[in-house]
Amino acid sequence: MDSSGQMELATFYVGEALYGMNILKVQEINKLMDSTSVPQAPEYVRGILNLRGQIVTVLDLKRKLGLEYAEISPLSRNIVVQLRGEYFGFLVDSIGDVVRVDLDKVEDAPANIGGVQGDFFDGVFKTEKALIGILNIEESLKMKT
Amino acid sequence: MDDETLNLYVEESREHLEDVEAELLAIEEGGENIDEDIVNKVFRAAHSIKGGAGFMGLSNIKELSHKMENVLGMIRDREMVPNPENINILLMASDALRDLINNVSQSNDMDVSDHIQALVMLAEGSMNAEEKQTVSTDVDIARDDGRVIFSLPRYDIETAKKGGRHIYLAEFDLIHDVELKGKNPLEFINELEKGVMILESKVDIESAGLLSDKEISGCLPFFALIAAIVESDIIGSLIGLGDDNIREMGEDMALRPLGDKATEPEPEPAPNFESEPVPEPGSEPVPEPEPEPDSEPEPESESEPEPKKKDKPGKNPPGKPARSATSTAETSLRVNVSVLDALMNLAGELVLGRNQLLQATAADDFSGIKTAGQHLDLITSDLQDAVMQTRMQPIGNVFNKFPRVVRDMSRDLGKDMELILKGKAVELDKTIIEGISDPLTHLVRNSADHGIEMSEIRKAAGKSPTGKIILNAYHEGGQVNIEISDDGKGLDGEKLAAMALKKGLIDSDQVSMMSEKEKTGLIFLPGFSTAEKVTDVSGRGVGMDVVKTNLDKLGGQVDIDSEVGKGTTIKIKLPLTLAIIPSQIISLQKERYAIPQVNMEELIRVPADKVKERIEVVGDASVVRLRGKLLPLVRLADLLDVERTYADDSGHTQGTDRREMIADRRSLHSDIRETGSEHHADNIHENERSGTDRRYHSRSAMNIVVLSTGVMKYGLIVDELHDSEEIVIKPLGRHLKACKGYSGATIMGDGRVALILDVAGLASMARFSSVDKTSRADTLAQQEIEKGSDLQSLLTFYSSGEEQFCVSLGLVERIEKIKRSDIENLGGKKVIQYRGSSLPLFSIDQVADVRPIKDQEDLLVIVFLLGGREVGLLATGPVDAMDVSVEFDEGTLKQTGIMGSAIIKGNTTMMVDIYGLIQTLNPDWFEARKAVETSEGNVATILYSEDSKFFRTQVKQFMEEEGYTVIDAEDGEVAWERLQEHEKEIGLVVTDIEMPNLDGYGLASRIKGDSRFSHLTVIALTTLASEEEVKKGKACGIDDYQVKLDKEKLLSSIYAHLKG
Repeated sequence: MDSSGQMELATFYVGEALYGMNILKVQEINKLMDSTSVPQAPEYVRGILNLRGQIVTVLDLKRKLGLEYAEISPLSRNIVVQLRGEYFGFLVDSIGDVVRVDLDKVEDAPANIGGVQGDFFDGVFKTEKALIGILNIEESLKMKT
Repeated sequence: MDDETLNLYVEESREHLEDVEAELLAIEEGGENIDEDIVNKVFRAAHSIKGGAGFMGLSNIKELSHKMENVLGMIRDREMVPNPENINILLMASDALRDLINNVSQSNDMDVSDHIQALVMLAEGSMNAEEKQTVSTDVDIARDDGRVIFSLPRYDIETAKKGGRHIYLAEFDLIHDVELKGKNPLEFINELEKGVMILESKVDIESAGLLSDKEISGCLPFFALIAAIVESDIIGSLIGLGDDNIREMGEDMALRPLGDKATEPEPEPAPNFESEPVPEPGSEPVPEPEPEPDSEPEPESESEPEPKKKDKPGKNPPGKPARSATSTAETSLRVNVSVLDALMNLAGELVLGRNQLLQATAADDFSGIKTAGQHLDLITSDLQDAVMQTRMQPIGNVFNKFPRVVRDMSRDLGKDMELILKGKAVELDKTIIEGISDPLTHLVRNSADHGIEMSEIRKAAGKSPTGKIILNAYHEGGQVNIEISDDGKGLDGEKLAAMALKKGLIDSDQVSMMSEKEKTGLIFLPGFSTAEKVTDVSGRGVGMDVVKTNLDKLGGQVDIDSEVGKGTTIKIKLPLTLAIIPSQIISLQKERYAIPQVNMEELIRVPADKVKERIEVVGDASVVRLRGKLLPLVRLADLLDVERTYADDSGHTQGTDRREMIADRRSLHSDIRETGSEHHADNIHENERSGTDRRYHSRSAMNIVVLSTGVMKYGLIVDELHDSEEIVIKPLGRHLKACKGYSGATIMGDGRVALILDVAGLASMARFSSVDKTSRADTLAQQEIEKGSDLQSLLTFYSSGEEQFCVSLGLVERIEKIKRSDIENLGGKKVIQYRGSSLPLFSIDQVADVRPIKDQEDLLVIVFLLGGREVGLLATGPVDAMDVSVEFDEGTLKQTGIMGSAIIKGNTTMMVDIYGLIQTLNPDWFEARKAVETSEGNVATILYSEDSKFFRTQVKQFMEEEGYTVIDAEDGEVAWERLQEHEKEIGLVVTDIEMPNLDGYGLASRIKGDSRFSHLTVIALTTLASEEEVKKGKACGIDDYQVKLDKEKLLSSIYAHLKG
């Protein structure tokens, strides 16, 4: 978020839906799909990855949002974010453009966006072509109980 | 001043101010009756705030708190009577002070002169003329070179001198005396204040150099004007400062070097302190710590018998509590310069190595790359070692605090003990050194408290009266071992097992399978305490399991060896460092895992044709025979719940492994077929099981990693074994914290991540760990603590085959098996011939409205002894004896012959009232015994204490039926109150043992310890009294033990005691 009241969103696709997150939160985006699986882990944990010496927990964002398991394709990417000193990778189906949004045009998230609970979003932003759900990273990384 | 110290100061000051208001109000209310404690408390609060403020350069805060202190001091010395006016001024001042503290950074610019003025007026108002004079006269405190450091009213100095105090000016060096010793400045001041009173203090930033004028740069002088009772010869050691840096103030308010006798009459010439440094502070005036009389010189050269106080004798002067050097978390570390140099060299070589590599790569010189690679490999190892060395610290840092611990304990416990420290120079990583301190303390305390016996007992056992505790550290196989051994009474495995059983932490099946060592290991179970008495020294039943958890965290292992009567040795194996650990790499499903070598005992490969021979099945568990011993086995695949695979001997082919039992082997044929559909494969599987020899062409060998958790060993079956590697541990993310099987992750040479297996975690997942912290054990321990409720020993049985009954096990004499055809019917009564006499038989349905006894040939007879004769109760199996903690419901199912009911193991169970039963059938069996009367002709009154409502009602009823008046109480505390209320009436006390608030032992001790009641008989009721309990009870003054619900015996005991 800059002083102009704008924010840049890194957008990505999970299934058909277009989501975005504040680009400043994104550490990097990579296509390291060869993660080490962790038996006994929560079902939405895809595995763990080595990112230059850091262990990254890769989460299947699609599954985490309450949808089916993601399928790996050549377009699949990990969006790496850092939260409280820990690295997480969100496995997404593909990456979209960087979109500049006016903060005052961001609307409250509806209760449900394409089968995903509204709690996962900070808000929605409408472009001419599509509706972008702005992902609440904190909420998306919460552990399911 | 760094922010951290300032924050600490602000926080502390806020705490000090928290209660000031209420306390000032209390002082006001007290008026002339001054409560010195409260005044002192406020005084100290103001004083501490002042002390820190001087240090921080917060002049306003210092000024205001100082003036408050003065007024409070006058109140304390009764020179001023608290009244609403002066308290009001103090209150307003404390408000202002709080404002200053809350805005500490602006405090020097805030105006508090009104408050200061008011306080000064207040103080002066109650002074005489001479004193007023001293307030307005300032005394300059100057350094040797004449520079004025402090200027303060003569009054303050005069006040401080009251009570024979000496005034000293001390010059500390913040860098050498504080920072380098790992202290933070506030802590330093607080510590200083314990010994002396600080009048003024400040950090002198402009000045550099010492009082002795030795020009030393790089120091930050901190001046403190202090008042202390001690004489000039000890002051140096008290505040931990060389005499050179202290000046004493004489009568004329001038400062002199210490030992300068200008104001004293002694004629000796003053030594020249300027040129001749004073010997180590405190080395001669402080008396050497008292030598322990019973410590004999140790013949071993390496060992050091305690006490030994060679290091820094001045650090623990009398009257000043010792502070362990490690009490504050260190943020900086001393590193030997040679190690740093080595690091620098290696860094240089690393750069050279990189250059070589880059050149070789650029030139496509393959052999050059290889050489460079080898070179880098060497440098990396050296570099790793050197970096590790910077973190290494001698274990002596931890060991050195134990002599005092043991000495204090030997005094407290009245035991004769000596501590021997060996291998103090052994070095460990600093994280481990920090982490090991608590567990070691616990273990040493345990040894001293529970291990070593009292001298008399030791003498009686033929041991030296002085108990010996040995702490020994040594290297072994790339690890460090620490042994804590004592020559005390040892641990009795059987007793531990019985206790764990009684507490419900384990079941009898587990006990029967345990080795002696595993039984000893039971002390690591949560909620397990072997101390007969909970002392403040150690043990509240949460001890050893915490030790184990802490050591597990450090990657350490504990092992106990104990021999009853000989002593106990606890061995802790620790890795040298936590950062890099040697591990065995294994794989499962082509995914690699690392197993820390510290947990690994050996690797076994069972060839395919030996699998059937070596792997056996016991119950539903598989075991392997290893050098004559059975080792439980578990598949890693099963634990982690991944699809099992197997590798053929060449290690190349893998397929899905569907063997049910580990001992099953597969045939070549079924391999191929099983790759088919799930359903199809299963069918074939079933068919083949019943078919002919399907185990003919076996070709899968079995790889077993033998692991040890310290208390148990097991074999982990994995797909493949790889090399051992040094791995770097990385923590797992929080989403994976719940997985018990891993202790972290590491990055392999190819950049992929491998999980590190947690050996203890896997053992508990496999559930064959004998000391697994099962949820059941946890809940039971928890319940036990919460309720303090008793375990009841019950015998459950059946009669009709449907309804479950129980009786108190204490009442049962024995159980016999009989044949229905042997029962004789004589005169309408059933009897059976038994050992030459007739045993009368009853069944519950004769009295109670329950289903009739099952019509079967084999019956059981539960034999009771009632009113001096044996009776048999007919019953059917299965019978079971158990210790349970249940509350009986005495309403729902109560009827003649049935006392009440409870849910036991999921079944409604009726408690049989055996007395009621027999009394209904044969009322004449029980001879009438008259209740004992008091001398006044009244029936005796009995105080009965019992927390379970069921038993309280039952037993009270027994006693009342007998004619006694019964006063009941639900715990020991209530009983004690009742006893006071009915002091005159009560003639006897009957009490349960396990009760909340105050247990039976405590109640008995209180009664016997009070001259009003010591004559009273105390009878304890238990479900089953062990020898030990009886002994303990006797020690507390319990006169007799009776089994709960054994009405006859209890009543005759009461009768006998009241009569006698």
